[in-house]
Amino acid sequence: MIDTKKERLVIVTAGLITGVIAAGLTKLGNPANMGFCIACFLRDISGALGLHQAAAVQYIRPEIPGLVLGSLAAALWKREFSPRGGSAPVTRFVLGFFVMIGCLMFLGCPFRMILRLAGGDGNALFGFVGFAAGILAGVFFLSRGYSLKRTYRQPAGEGGALPAIMVILLVLLVSAPGFIHFTETGGGPGGSHAAILVSLVAGLAVGALAQRTRMCMVGGIRDLILFREPKLILGFGAIFAATLLGNLYLGVFHPGFAEQPVAHTDGLWNALGMFLAGYGCVLLGGCPLRQLVLSGEGNTDSATAVLGLMVGAAFAHNFGLASSGAGPTGTGKLAVLTGVAVVSVIACANTFGKKQ
Amino acid sequence: MTCIATFYSHFGAVRFKRTCQSLGWPARLMPVPRDLSSSCGTCVRYEGEVPESVPEETEQIVAVETAGYRPLYQAENS
Repeated sequence: MIDTKKERLVIVTAGLITGVIAAGLTKLGNPANMGFCIACFLRDISGALGLHQAAAVQYIRPEIPGLVLGSLAAALWKREFSPRGGSAPVTRFVLGFFVMIGCLMFLGCPFRMILRLAGGDGNALFGFVGFAAGILAGVFFLSRGYSLKRTYRQPAGEGGALPAIMVILLVLLVSAPGFIHFTETGGGPGGSHAAILVSLVAGLAVGALAQRTRMCMVGGIRDLILFREPKLILGFGAIFAATLLGNLYLGVFHPGFAEQPVAHTDGLWNALGMFLAGYGCVLLGGCPLRQLVLSGEGNTDSATAVLGLMVGAAFAHNFGLASSGAGPTGTGKLAVLTGVAVVSVIACANTFGKKQ
Repeated sequence: MTCIATFYSHFGAVRFKRTCQSLGWPARLMPVPRDLSSSCGTCVRYEGEVPESVPEETEQIVAVETAGYRPLYQAENS
């Protein structure tokens, strides 16, 4: 039965554990302020599979399969694995694509935005403002009738397809055949990573926790706006607090704007990138982490969104849309503005363009 | 009877709440309780029963009882 206090306690505990894991992963080899970054890690996997050729960011990050499989395990345990889908999959693919474009303008997903803040990266404040504004824009449409229509039960094979792909990715990582790309050590963020088993276990743990608590950055701000309900955002508050304390303990808290790891100082485009990410995520129903977790529960629409995120990452690096430490690119700015326009068309078409 | 209805979209919940109010049933929007579903959408908690005509966007309706939730309605093929 509904026990709000218990739900809040559980999600805060899960957030604290997640924050400790995130801080620990950076100590154990992941790039700074990147214990977890769903966008960056999916981008690295796209590169490892040869979908883009940016040599600095190619590695099959075990955290991603871990998150999906951890969610799958928790869902199976609690009998919540429920293959379903059919709610505008192509639209979700496009939304996922542009969410990634926004994330790679900012250089991180909403999860990493919190980790960057906890690492002292002031640039992430601009991202946070943009992200919240993007969520507000999405909520505007939610409240006026936005819907991608209902889901339907799917065969178990459909719901299990993305988790199966994740297992294959792990096999490819361990067997390291010649056609899989690996960033050399010191060759860029892709070359910085914790040991495979450590990353996998971390992903499994956070995936299971996120499935049990429905942790979601987008849902957190959305519920705060719609219902004044802070439960979900408390989880990310706890992640921030635990990571901050972890960074202070490890001596890697460096407050400021310049010279932040895997970040740039262009405030406007940090904000606009995360505006696009927040806007698209609300229309998807959750942040990239949530899409992975829902995929683990058998949601094929979320699996399609994850594929959109991966293809978006490939495009971002093949066409020079992703930012770097030097700042955003001209084509990246154009892609973000295009993304805002496309997401707005999707929002309008699925709000005002349907019989209510 | 206290009931909770879940939906495929936020706006489905908004419209259902209006329907409840037009029937004189007290209703409020809230996040879906975790122990009811792993989905994180919007639900309507109301005092009433299953409406004669359940809107298309409704996923399920349950009665809130001391022992737990009692299913009253489930959308076909969901």
